[in-house]
Amino acid sequence: MQITQELLKNLPKHIVLQGDENTRPYECDGLSVYRQKPLAVVLPETVDQIKQVLAICKQFNTPVVTRGAGTGLAGGAIPLENSVVLGLSKLSQIKSIDPIAKTAIVEPGVRNISISEAVAEFGLYYAPDPSSQIACTIGGNVAENSGGVHCLKYGLTVHNIVTVKILTIDGEELTLSRDDDGLGLLALMTGSEGLLGVITEVTVKLTDKPAQVQLVVAGFDKVGDCANAVTNIIQAGIIPAGLEMMDSFAIEAAEDFAHAGYPRDAQALLLCELDGESAAVEAELKQVLNILSDASSLTVAKDEQHRAALWQGRKSAFPAVGRLSPDYYCMDGTIPRRYLADVLEKISELSTFYGLRVANVFHAGDGNLHPLILYDANKPGELEKTEKFGTDILKLCVDFGGSITGEHGVGIEKLDAMCHQFESDELEIFHQIKAVFDPKALLNPGKAVPTLHRCAELGGMHVHNGQLPHPELERF
Amino acid sequence: MSAINIEQIQQQVLTATTLQLIGRGSQLQPTQAAILDMSLYQGVIDYHPQELMLTVKAGTTIEQIKQTLAVNNQALPFSTSSSTIGAAYAMGGAEFRDAVLGVKIIDGQGRVLNFGGQVMKNVAGYDVTRLLVGSKGKLAVICEVSLKVLPLAYVAQTNTSNSATVSQPSLLKQKIADGLKQVFDPKAVFV
Repeated sequence: MQITQELLKNLPKHIVLQGDENTRPYECDGLSVYRQKPLAVVLPETVDQIKQVLAICKQFNTPVVTRGAGTGLAGGAIPLENSVVLGLSKLSQIKSIDPIAKTAIVEPGVRNISISEAVAEFGLYYAPDPSSQIACTIGGNVAENSGGVHCLKYGLTVHNIVTVKILTIDGEELTLSRDDDGLGLLALMTGSEGLLGVITEVTVKLTDKPAQVQLVVAGFDKVGDCANAVTNIIQAGIIPAGLEMMDSFAIEAAEDFAHAGYPRDAQALLLCELDGESAAVEAELKQVLNILSDASSLTVAKDEQHRAALWQGRKSAFPAVGRLSPDYYCMDGTIPRRYLADVLEKISELSTFYGLRVANVFHAGDGNLHPLILYDANKPGELEKTEKFGTDILKLCVDFGGSITGEHGVGIEKLDAMCHQFESDELEIFHQIKAVFDPKALLNPGKAVPTLHRCAELGGMHVHNGQLPHPELERF
Repeated sequence: MSAINIEQIQQQVLTATTLQLIGRGSQLQPTQAAILDMSLYQGVIDYHPQELMLTVKAGTTIEQIKQTLAVNNQALPFSTSSSTIGAAYAMGGAEFRDAVLGVKIIDGQGRVLNFGGQVMKNVAGYDVTRLLVGSKGKLAVICEVSLKVLPLAYVAQTNTSNSATVSQPSLLKQKIADGLKQVFDPKAVFV
């Protein structure tokens, strides 16, 4: 291909990958049921090289798919057939740490966990902790506005970044800061899924490590009682650092896998983590234990090791469920917490309707559901059925006043669900915003925002005709 | 005129050539534009203390919101010198932007649009809710705002000073701001 020749001519040969073998590792992200090889993959080592890639892609009118570690779960980083993948994993330097201002300036390919590791000596850490944090990059975190288990208290990525430098498709540098006067361009860029610009540097906000951390695990005979306990904790004026729920299926799977000591007979499990100054944590712990006094079982972590063991069950819920089924599909809807019991009831009905098992893990503090649908991709039609089940769950979340995605992003996965959450006027605004930054639609085109045409078609045919085969790959 | 419902706001946007949005106590700029006073479009629409979530109409005063929240020992997580929530949204600042969850707006073509929502985590679509914080009434009419609120005890400890850097924006930033004005208000109704 001509563009590959041009890339090879202008860039060091070792950073340009081409051919089936070399580009295969980049053919998908965490949503691995969809795969597509790009024309070429470029792994720049400098910002100037990114500029060159963008200039060449613009010249050849070739789409650019920016990629961090490829851990995203919604297909945001899947290549397009005629695209160049711009992988930023080699830009992995922590440029500076300012322990007084509690900030760090990092390149986009720096892994989430390595920021916390690097600043630990100052008693600081980077708060957002997506479950992929040992692998995922900060550039990807900003592009997706990633969350984690501590968002209710410490916020999402958008709350924990100070400045982002980007390159526009024209190769122009733009610095967006939290304290800029006027429009919230930094917030607009955060979560824009690689459609508006290429992130080249991030200044993150660092948080003081808490003096004390305490974990309580409570089992309940009824899901509703567990949901009520969450409400009562927050109504008591406590904001736990983490507040996680699991349903009976998830509890059993996790216990089989991690032997964390969870009550197997419980219908719902609550993990409540408190952190802060020692006196405050002790006072809150008393309050929480009082609120949870009706629980069917109650465990307080005895020490740091015990706390880690208790978390291990929750943290291994995905692989634990994965062991029970050849494949599983992870959803990411959010709902107002007060509807939790209703939504779980409806999901259970849908599970029966589709004949597919589902385990629920839930960031209860911020209303973020992660139903895991168990399926077998080798059974004809089962993936399609699973996706339809998933879309039904997301529609349910919207109908209860929530959202189709809390932290994973839209990518290609939730394009259809977007049609349910937004009206055509709103989608049109999104397309126009993209055009302000990228009029020729070269940055990750076709992702994150569905075409109005697609939504119109779905509206007419989605009910009984099932999903179109690979619609996202054919309609850019 | 003063609007008391969405239809009246929409009517104003559709009929005026140019429109200046004001809340309670705004400083009027001397212009030829018609005035749309939002201060009567006020009141709490939705408040769920256990969800730490509040939805109010734009003309609701900060004072009224504080009183509503105080009943449940909760408070706003930002400080503002504005007298209404609509004005606080229009004037912006990072603290306010951190707290906002969703918004109902009427754009320059009179279309009622909803972005964000009432949930803490929501990454569907571009974050128009936070983009428009600080838009100073020049891109759209802010009608309703959903906010994250906090227990009283957590507000004191999270409050920091708000220091927007007022500097001449770069040419590129100005071009982007102009482009976004075109998106939301192509006929330049809002002045």
